[in-house]
Amino acid sequence: MAHGPCRQTFGGCGKAFLVWGTLVKRRIELGLLFSRSGSYSLISEACRSGALAAIARINADPALDVSFAPVERDPGGNADAYGPVCEEILRDTGARHVVGCITSWSRKEVIPTVEKFGGTLWYAVPYEGFEASDHVVYTHACPNQHLLPLLDWVMPAHGRRAYLTGSNYIWGWEMNRLARERITAAGGEVLGERYLPIGSREVGRMIEEVRFARPNFILNSLIGPSSYEFMAAYRALGTEDEAFRPDRCPVLSCNVTECELPALGPAAEGLVAAGPYFRGVAGWPGEGNFGSSHEAAAFAAVMELARLLAGREGAENWPLSQLLAGDRGRGIVDPETHHTVLPVIIARVEGGAFKALQRWDAVAGDPYLTRSRSSPARVLRVVS
Amino acid sequence: MKRRAIRIPNLGGARAIILHRPHTTVQALTRQLAAIGLQVTQAWPDLGPEALAADYIFFDADLGHDAMFPWDTGQPPIPMIALIGSEAPGRIEWSLKAGSHAQLLKPVGDSGAYSALLIARDAFDAQQALSAEISDLRRRLDERQTVVRAVTLLAARGKTEAEAYAQLRQMAMAWRISFEDAAARIVAAQGGMDDRSERG
Repeated sequence: MAHGPCRQTFGGCGKAFLVWGTLVKRRIELGLLFSRSGSYSLISEACRSGALAAIARINADPALDVSFAPVERDPGGNADAYGPVCEEILRDTGARHVVGCITSWSRKEVIPTVEKFGGTLWYAVPYEGFEASDHVVYTHACPNQHLLPLLDWVMPAHGRRAYLTGSNYIWGWEMNRLARERITAAGGEVLGERYLPIGSREVGRMIEEVRFARPNFILNSLIGPSSYEFMAAYRALGTEDEAFRPDRCPVLSCNVTECELPALGPAAEGLVAAGPYFRGVAGWPGEGNFGSSHEAAAFAAVMELARLLAGREGAENWPLSQLLAGDRGRGIVDPETHHTVLPVIIARVEGGAFKALQRWDAVAGDPYLTRSRSSPARVLRVVS
Repeated sequence: MKRRAIRIPNLGGARAIILHRPHTTVQALTRQLAAIGLQVTQAWPDLGPEALAADYIFFDADLGHDAMFPWDTGQPPIPMIALIGSEAPGRIEWSLKAGSHAQLLKPVGDSGAYSALLIARDAFDAQQALSAEISDLRRRLDERQTVVRAVTLLAARGKTEAEAYAQLRQMAMAWRISFEDAAARIVAAQGGMDDRSERG
């Protein structure tokens, strides 16, 4: 790992000195908990590179008195390994903050551990909401920042007859529950809802159901290979019957970003996704040259942690509540919900890249859907 | 009986009162409830009239007693969640008698409040719906005699019992009132005629 040029030999004991006019950095261990193998490794790699880019930036910044030393552990895509592996980080190293987890399943496994050790998980992936742990910061989008604006976009544009898919765990279940609630409340209809075990490629039944149900749109909350297989099979269906071409009956996703486009190939064409960032979009912290929103959200998480720790000696050992209380709401993290204010962008894959269709500049995360009673439709602007 | 679908309530701006002495449990619970979007106040040693404007009550099951609620024992007009520290059977028994709809174990930590709110709301709604249904059935049972009299009156005009019954149902539908209310109306209207026929 690159260390900052001013990380002198006496850094690391928590004291900041001024040497030759530059700040001496406190060396702070930072846990990275990403699965580099398994069915969602592309997302792990995107988050990991965002976190590492932020660490490099912070370590090279002479104006900051902190540097991060990553402590990496790889649960290998096994949900049951996350809790023990996270405990290893918090028990055996000095790290109190961990950036990591991709699936909600793994996040739920890790929360009791961070709670037990007074640690903090920085979670940089879109998720299904209805959580606000005192020990987690959520730097990617929750449903009022992805699913609800996406449904508000699709129903007037394409119709209200939906087919819902998902991987068989909490992300898919909750996304589809909420989608069903919103679609039926809007007078629409859910024609089918089907799940696949994580990693399964058995999409034949779903495709047949879609063929017979003839929906106006499909919500795809599958992850990894299931999603890649489904998109490829749906593209084939579209060449057979033009009612299933993406311009007629689009597939929607709240979890596909650029990091999975190489795995999807031409099958991604026409997919419509919601997210806080797509490549080339301006207005994101940092330079905005991230490969995907996963990378951007992990980068933002580490940068925000560095800002919270900078100039506050010993703060690296504080619990999140204390860090935020002292900060008085100056940062990106809402001290009540630990969610962040994010842009909301709806974008379509065209020629292998996302092209923005609609954008809202700043939407606060509302995990329990109790703060914003309607979606932010009134402040939207159309991006052409 | 098929269970009805649970309604996910919108908790934004809902008011919760925590009836508990100042304690870390109150802090942890307040944090959870505020994160969910509720307005939270704390009360101790008893609930004032403000309780009648609340949407949820969390109450201490360890030091609780009947007199701390401003309503008849076991008749809370809103969902109640017991905060249970001691799992002594007497305390559990008391919290059930007090009318708790859900519980949270102490010490309260980082989670549990959201599920307690949803479960308490659902149990409360189910209880209210059942009470309403029972009192309706009870009323209809009480009025069974009136229905029998109305059918007899209608049958006395040369109809079979089944035809009289069908006629009464049609009248109730036409008048847009319940079957029992239609029966009561017929008995009241024909009461005089009934008397005359008895005299005659």
